Amino acid sequence: MESSILESIGQEIIGVMSPVSLCMLLVVLLVYSLSPSNPFSSSSPAPIRTAANLVYLENPSDTAAQKLEGALLNALVFVILIAIVTFVLVLLYYYNFTNFLKNYMRFSAFFVLGTMGGSIFLSIIQHFSIPIDSVTCFLLLFNFTVVGVLSVFSGGMPIVLRQGYMVLLGIIVATWFTKLPEWTTWALLVALALYDLVAVLAPGGPLKLLVELASSRDEELPALVYEARPTVSRNEGNQRSSLGLLVGGVSDSGSVELQAVSNGNARRDGSENGSSSEYAAIQVRSSENVEGERSPLVGHLRERYSSDSNSSEYSTVVCNRESEIVVDEEMSPLVDLLGMDDEREQPRRDGTGDSVIASRGIKLGLGDFVFYSVLVGRAAMYDLMTVYACYLAIISGLGCTLILLSVCRRALPALPISITLGVIFYFLTRLLMEPFVVGTATNLMMF
Amino acid sequence: MTVTAGIGYALLALGPSLSLFVSVISKKPFLILTLLSSTLVWLISLIILSGIWRAFLPLKSTTWWPFAILIFSSVAFQEGLRLLFWKVYKRLEDILDAFADRVSKPRLYLTDKMQIALAGGLGHGVAHAVFFCVSLLTPAFGPATYFVDRCSQIPFFLVSAIIALAFVTIHTFSMVIAFNGYAEGNKVDQLFVPSVHLAAGMMTLINFASGGCIIGIPLLFLMAILTLMHCGRMVWRSLTENQRQGMGNSCSLCGKTALTSFFNIQSCIYFVQFNGH
Repeated sequence: MESSILESIGQEIIGVMSPVSLCMLLVVLLVYSLSPSNPFSSSSPAPIRTAANLVYLENPSDTAAQKLEGALLNALVFVILIAIVTFVLVLLYYYNFTNFLKNYMRFSAFFVLGTMGGSIFLSIIQHFSIPIDSVTCFLLLFNFTVVGVLSVFSGGMPIVLRQGYMVLLGIIVATWFTKLPEWTTWALLVALALYDLVAVLAPGGPLKLLVELASSRDEELPALVYEARPTVSRNEGNQRSSLGLLVGGVSDSGSVELQAVSNGNARRDGSENGSSSEYAAIQVRSSENVEGERSPLVGHLRERYSSDSNSSEYSTVVCNRESEIVVDEEMSPLVDLLGMDDEREQPRRDGTGDSVIASRGIKLGLGDFVFYSVLVGRAAMYDLMTVYACYLAIISGLGCTLILLSVCRRALPALPISITLGVIFYFLTRLLMEPFVVGTATNLMMF
Repeated sequence: MTVTAGIGYALLALGPSLSLFVSVISKKPFLILTLLSSTLVWLISLIILSGIWRAFLPLKSTTWWPFAILIFSSVAFQEGLRLLFWKVYKRLEDILDAFADRVSKPRLYLTDKMQIALAGGLGHGVAHAVFFCVSLLTPAFGPATYFVDRCSQIPFFLVSAIIALAFVTIHTFSMVIAFNGYAEGNKVDQLFVPSVHLAAGMMTLINFASGGCIIGIPLLFLMAILTLMHCGRMVWRSLTENQRQGMGNSCSLCGKTALTSFFNIQSCIYFVQFNGH
């Protein structure tokens, strides 16, 4: 029996949805297992002080109006901060301050994984009373952090590890954010969704500028982005299908380009297979991508890029880019931008808050991971029922965004639809559904 | 009763669905999407229903007839929604077939259609189990358990898990029956589904009587087994007809259905034993 189309449709969507689901699941588990004893807040009864609640510190005894006002102010200040930092980022990128950005980002990724991740590990160790001595713990944490920094910011790492660290970064930051007070969290989520909408779609929006700048320079988007590329195992075990995907993607723009691409590829890695067939060229290229090999070729390629990209080659470069992204992007300053500390990193994360489609796989900003998980984590503090409802709402919002993406073929903000649906479903579930379901189920009535 | 018990209850309700998910659904991305969207549809229907009934809540727990109206209206609403789901699916099927033609792959096989129906039904069933059983399980992870007055022999969590299992089965397979019935224009199948759903809903009313769950739950499982058998017969019939027409399909779905019914029957036996203790 020939394989039916059911097996191929929606693969990319699932490729994005499963890490998002995983991230949300882990955040919910973390929130659930850590919240009863509240190891974070036990040390400091006052909630953490970040850029997200600079103005107003929520107090359970405040009136609703006070809370609302304070939460809105907090959200406003936070969004303004984000906007400023994103503009600074765009400026730095525009003037090619790549080395400075790169090193600063390295440091901040280290900082996030080391301190925020470390404090979460510590509270896990405390909560489950895992017997471990401090030297071992420190050593493990250090190794974990170093591997994380390397895998996020440079090549030579298996893609699975990279994706894993992306999800981990998302989990760490999201867990941190769930410690914000309730009203502030909701106001913040809504404000960020609105900001995302404006920043990506409005003319002159910082993220739009960033995306355009990156694409005009033929570089990767300067942000921490989860790529739903085929993983190593799939590429190795199933070379044909990923090849088919690649060729299919390229051939959308006609067979001439396909020819050009393969020529380009063959010439570009001439040392390896200058004379082999076009398919073989692509294959080699893609397997090289997978290994993220950091050959001197890369730098060379890059130079070629700029010099080669005259008009006749333009389509080649564009198409080629898809297959070379892997190699190239590790070198681009943009990628390094991610993973900053607390407030600072927020903007960049957010900068990643849009998904971009390339003909190979979909990219989702890490900011989306973070704020989806924040919403679900916040819902987990109320009840399991709201968690399921929010999860479904967010996932369906993500699905809608992805469908829109395939229609529009440009960078889209991934937060607005999902966050709107998530917030609506949270309050509907909490206010309407819960009394209904609990009322009928405790009488053992079901339908 | 701690974490182990909580996980156990959740697996009682969702174990068969989990095996079905792993063995059939998870391999095909499109089926996962179908499952998610049908879960969402069910959730929306539940929210709308609770919005309608919110004004009358909480119902007095001494009279049974408001519950009867509630169940009747809910079942009627959800069956209406199933019709809508079918209409949407029909359109989707055309799109899929057109897409298959374009990429020159085979059109949807009969088994594919059944798998889509199965995924849709599983979505409904899982949503039921999640919202009526798993989401109430939070206290079961703690050190205590909870008994309802009217069914004082068994912990509430166990009862709800068992009932949820029956409903998961009914929802999952009645979707297959309904889709097949709509496609073939078979009136019996089309009527079979709402009546089973309604009957199962009404049977939970028996739980209202003190000690009624001893009678109500076996009856409920009878309905589940009836649905399962009807579904199996129907799938078998249409597959053999299909084969006779020379389509030459492998019978992967009926194998899977048989597998699931085996799982379900096994779990039923297990529950009966559990209840006996």
